[in-house]
Amino acid sequence: MSLLSVSHLKAGYGPINVLHDVELTVEAGEIVVMLGANGAGKTTTMRAISGMIGRSGEVHFEGADIARATPDAIVRAGIAQVPQGRGTFPELNVEDNLRCGAYIRSDKEIDADIDRWFDVFPRLRERRAQRAGSLSGGEQQMLAIARALMARPKLLLCDEPSLGLAPLITQELFAVIERLNREMGLSVLLVEQNANLAMHMAHRVYLIETGRIVASGSAAELSADDSIRKAYLGF
Amino acid sequence: MKSLVTIKEGSIGHWVLRLLAAAIVVAIMLWIPTKGSNGLVTSATEALTLMSAAMALNLILGYTGQISIGHSAFYGTGAYVTGILVSKYEWSPWLTFPVAFLFAFVVGVLVSFPASRIKGVYLALVTLALALVFPNLLRWPKLESLTGGGPGIPNGDSALDTTGFNIGRRDGQMRNFEIFGWDPFGDLRGQGAIPFYYWIAAGIAVIVYLVIRGVVKSRAGRSLIAVRDNETAAAVMGVNLVATKAFAFGISAGLCALPGSVTAIRLGAVSPDIATLTILGSLTFLIIMVIGGAGSLWGPIIGAALYVFVTDRTGGWADDEAIPGVLRPFFGWSKIPPGSGIFAVILIVLMFVAPRGLVGVWKQYSPRVVRVVPRPAGVAHDAKPALVADTTTNSTPEGESE
Ligand SMILES: Nc1ncnc2c1ncn2[C@@H]1O[C@H](COP(=O)(O)OP(=O)(O)OP(=O)(O)O)[C@@H](O)[C@H]1O
Ligand SMILES: [Mg+2]
Repeated sequence: MSLLSVSHLKAGYGPINVLHDVELTVEAGEIVVMLGANGAGKTTTMRAISGMIGRSGEVHFEGADIARATPDAIVRAGIAQVPQGRGTFPELNVEDNLRCGAYIRSDKEIDADIDRWFDVFPRLRERRAQRAGSLSGGEQQMLAIARALMARPKLLLCDEPSLGLAPLITQELFAVIERLNREMGLSVLLVEQNANLAMHMAHRVYLIETGRIVASGSAAELSADDSIRKAYLGF
Repeated sequence: MKSLVTIKEGSIGHWVLRLLAAAIVVAIMLWIPTKGSNGLVTSATEALTLMSAAMALNLILGYTGQISIGHSAFYGTGAYVTGILVSKYEWSPWLTFPVAFLFAFVVGVLVSFPASRIKGVYLALVTLALALVFPNLLRWPKLESLTGGGPGIPNGDSALDTTGFNIGRRDGQMRNFEIFGWDPFGDLRGQGAIPFYYWIAAGIAVIVYLVIRGVVKSRAGRSLIAVRDNETAAAVMGVNLVATKAFAFGISAGLCALPGSVTAIRLGAVSPDIATLTILGSLTFLIIMVIGGAGSLWGPIIGAALYVFVTDRTGGWADDEAIPGVLRPFFGWSKIPPGSGIFAVILIVLMFVAPRGLVGVWKQYSPRVVRVVPRPAGVAHDAKPALVADTTTNSTPEGESE
């Protein structure tokens, strides 16, 4: 049984239909990367999975049907999302942002978890009491990821974490994601524009075009296919 | 920015500073009813009532980012619940407070459902309608048996007496409020209703402050700010937007009803013509909150004190002779007291120089004198190599150049 399996997914905004028929799966412990041009429907797919927009079709998470669940029920089920464009809470300080990430939790280990993500992102520890709005772009992206992880998700939906980051920072961020995947077994569904970089760490890749999955396979398979490489991957 | 004194958060110095601030507040609150003139006590009561309402409004506008021009209706709900229960059903005024809270809470939650789907200007319009409808609802003939219609419930009804809603005895004497043989009102300042109302208003203001402080500093409060700052991100973190907004609206409305009840007790009468029960009340709460500083605990408190100070000082200025000499050329032309006009000018100026209100100004400049530095973050348990090194400062906002 796959951790996440999506089939016949249709979604859109009001009368506009954006996703026509999206099929994808994420196995436990996998990093799956979704590639596609601007406006292909990557963010929309993420929003449909996390319940932020109306959708139809089947979405199963750990065998349970979540196609009609509310966003908070989906978070509780174990799916956390880093929204596109670093959705931090600018007026809250770094620590309170992390506490917000643990909104669905009421256990005693929240402080320990905060400390743990401060170990992974030391820059955040230094800025613990600083307003999130005053962090640099890269720091905000780290905060957004750490905050999503505060929910202790089984699956992390990560929408273009590299947006606006210097190449070096992007590499480091990806290294963190890979490490979390390796050490904690965190499953990740990652949207990326930077195909080259993302495919290095992907176990499997999906290509999406105008609301449909048009190709899928391992990174090696896809980059071996000349037509796909030219049309979608740009290298 | 250099500061004269630097204090660590949670250190002894920080606690001394906090206690000092608390002591000053308590001293002022005690000094006014014991040593102040009757006029001052009345003004302070007014300020306490308005600040309670502005604090309540602050919870949804300052912290949740939802505008409401309808809070005069919640305020009025409190006034009428108290008025009706005391005059028609002979309740003790004290017992009407929780009922007023609950009633307004329910109304607030109901209002929040359309409010959670609309935003900005549209929400302003819906709540504006609420403010406009409310006084007319009170005058509605079908409700007249309850609300007293246009004239409202006048002072001097059977159950009422000179000291307001049943607070004094029927023979006109104040009830005995002794605590272990010590009569706080009598001993501190002779028998009288004026300081008594002050104490009620002060008690309510303290309760409203503590509730709001409790909410804001809690997990629920963080989620309110999260919703204000970034709704989408809050939702994907598991915050239920509809329930959160309903909770905030309900608490805000319920708390706003409490100063309304105080007003009813103080006047010993309620009517749809009381200014704070109309749209004027909503605007007053709004202006007080914005001038003091939206989204801060102290904003409405400072705003209300300043508002009452200005309107009191200029109350007689319709008469040219009453205006101090230097200011006479500026306000002599005014045929009505220029208080609200002056306040409007303050508002406009503040919006340019300090959009976060007076508290914002304080937060900007007070660190030059005393700065409280936050506690150092928890020390790393083991020295794991940091995966993300200190290179983030190089990050470019333009994006990847690939
Ligand atoms: N809130 C919205 N209302 C209406 N249409 C929308 C909305 N958000 C996105 N769309 C449309 O849906 C389509 C897919 O958008 P989506 O954000 O999913 O693209 P994307 O693949 O994430 O692109 P990018 O790489 O630029 O982030 C676009 O044509 C866009 O115009
Ligand atoms: Mg996108």
